[in-house]
Amino acid sequence: MQHVANVSGERTGVKAAVEVRGLSHVYAGRDGAVPALQDIDMNVPAGRFVVIVGPSGCGKTSLLMMLAGLRAQSSGAILIDGRPIDKPDPSRVGVVFQEASLYPWLTAVENVEFPLVLKHAPRTERRDRAEAMLKLVGLEGFGSRHPHELSGGMKQRVSIARGLVQDPPVLLMDEPFAALDEQTRMTMGHELLRIWEQTSKTVVFITHSLTEAVYLADEVLVMSARPGRILDRMAVDLPRPRTYQMMATEEFGALRERIWQQIRTAP
Amino acid sequence: MTRPSPRTVRRLIGVLILVLWEAIPRLGILPELFIPPLTKTLHVLWLDSAIYAAALLVTVYEVAIAMLIACGAGILIGSVVGGVASIRRLMLPVFSSLYAVPIVILYPVFTAWFGIGSESKIVFAGVYGFFPVMLSTAAGIRTIDEQYLLAARSMGASLPQLVMRVIIPASIPTVLAGLRLGGALTIIGVVVSEMLTSANGIGYLVTKNRTTLDSPRVFAAIIVILTLSVVYDIAVRFIERRTLVWQTAGRRDTSRPARAALPAQAAA
Repeated sequence: MQHVANVSGERTGVKAAVEVRGLSHVYAGRDGAVPALQDIDMNVPAGRFVVIVGPSGCGKTSLLMMLAGLRAQSSGAILIDGRPIDKPDPSRVGVVFQEASLYPWLTAVENVEFPLVLKHAPRTERRDRAEAMLKLVGLEGFGSRHPHELSGGMKQRVSIARGLVQDPPVLLMDEPFAALDEQTRMTMGHELLRIWEQTSKTVVFITHSLTEAVYLADEVLVMSARPGRILDRMAVDLPRPRTYQMMATEEFGALRERIWQQIRTAP
Repeated sequence: MTRPSPRTVRRLIGVLILVLWEAIPRLGILPELFIPPLTKTLHVLWLDSAIYAAALLVTVYEVAIAMLIACGAGILIGSVVGGVASIRRLMLPVFSSLYAVPIVILYPVFTAWFGIGSESKIVFAGVYGFFPVMLSTAAGIRTIDEQYLLAARSMGASLPQLVMRVIIPASIPTVLAGLRLGGALTIIGVVVSEMLTSANGIGYLVTKNRTTLDSPRVFAAIIVILTLSVVYDIAVRFIERRTLVWQTAGRRDTSRPARAALPAQAAA
């Protein structure tokens, strides 16, 4: 199996922020048990940007929900920051969803401070913290807007700010830019890398876009169709900070092509 | 020449109706028994203002209590039906079918149970207004975006927090729509029951004066009822505007397009 050769975290001596061992998932369908995920192993060292790609319905989102403690796996272990996760823990894991899923009755800053409100943090502290996060994502001064007054890209910025507001070591992102237009998507990818470099978070990012995957990732995990398995782990050695010009290079194209071949010929 | 705004046209139509109301009986196009002139109606209303005020007070009291019952029970039972899947499957078809029944057939039964005083009106109108409140509350809770709940759980929300901070605010728009309709139905319920069997209230004045063919006094009562409904509608719309800034603005805000367009250029 491929995962035997991939214990990079222990090899380099960096502590794993996300560790998945022998994870499988079976759910009860109409015609009996359906295997959804099979023998997933992951080892994401702290501060790394990992992108998961795979065909629709391969269980990427399920895997992410399990990493977030939002769904239970059938077997196997998940360690976040060294400890098992069996229920959502926003102090360890922030989640950014595809639909920005902001609450329309709250302003941007109230949305960002929502996790702190749930924790009963003092008003001034949480407001300061939320304002700081809005500044980090480039939305200083937009705090009093309601979501309907924000563009799609800005909503996702607010959503990222909300995911980061409790300063968790790990940020999980489920196709966060899929609903955006191409140009906004490129800008947002670039912005995400800036935020990531500023905060040194560990990011696990799901996408359908191969270009986005190569542009963002330190490492790309390619998943197979159901039952989802990890077919390939591909290091992306393009220098940081990434630039748009890199997309035109031969190296970028080769990486993209390699992922495409894997997905296309996946069993 | 510029085209008049819809508001101007609406006002003109209103004025036209008032003018016709005065002119048609005066010109003898229709007998005054059918439509008494507007001024004559208003004059009677002025003469009998004490009687109408007393009747209105009774009607408003009945409507208020009936609305409390309709809204309270509607929201309570609607939340349970909308929130608990097993109860929903069991009860929702029953409630939906009951909604289609002309509940007015129950009114004679209510008068037998509660007498012909205010109680039977309150119960009848309360039941009448209950259904839309209950059904829309159930719908509002059932149709909450799953993503809202998932996001809240990922942020560590407990079940009470989920209810207080997500489910209730998210279902307010639908619930308010139900309250608006339910409230209007309680007004109808009270007036209709007063017209059927009663000794007081505005509806009673309609029936009483009709039997004596006193058209101006019938129409005076109608004017009072119309005013009551319009005041209710204005009040509800005011509440909706205040509570649903985010929603109404999202759907039909044309007053500040500049503000909405600016951020799109500023970032992302």
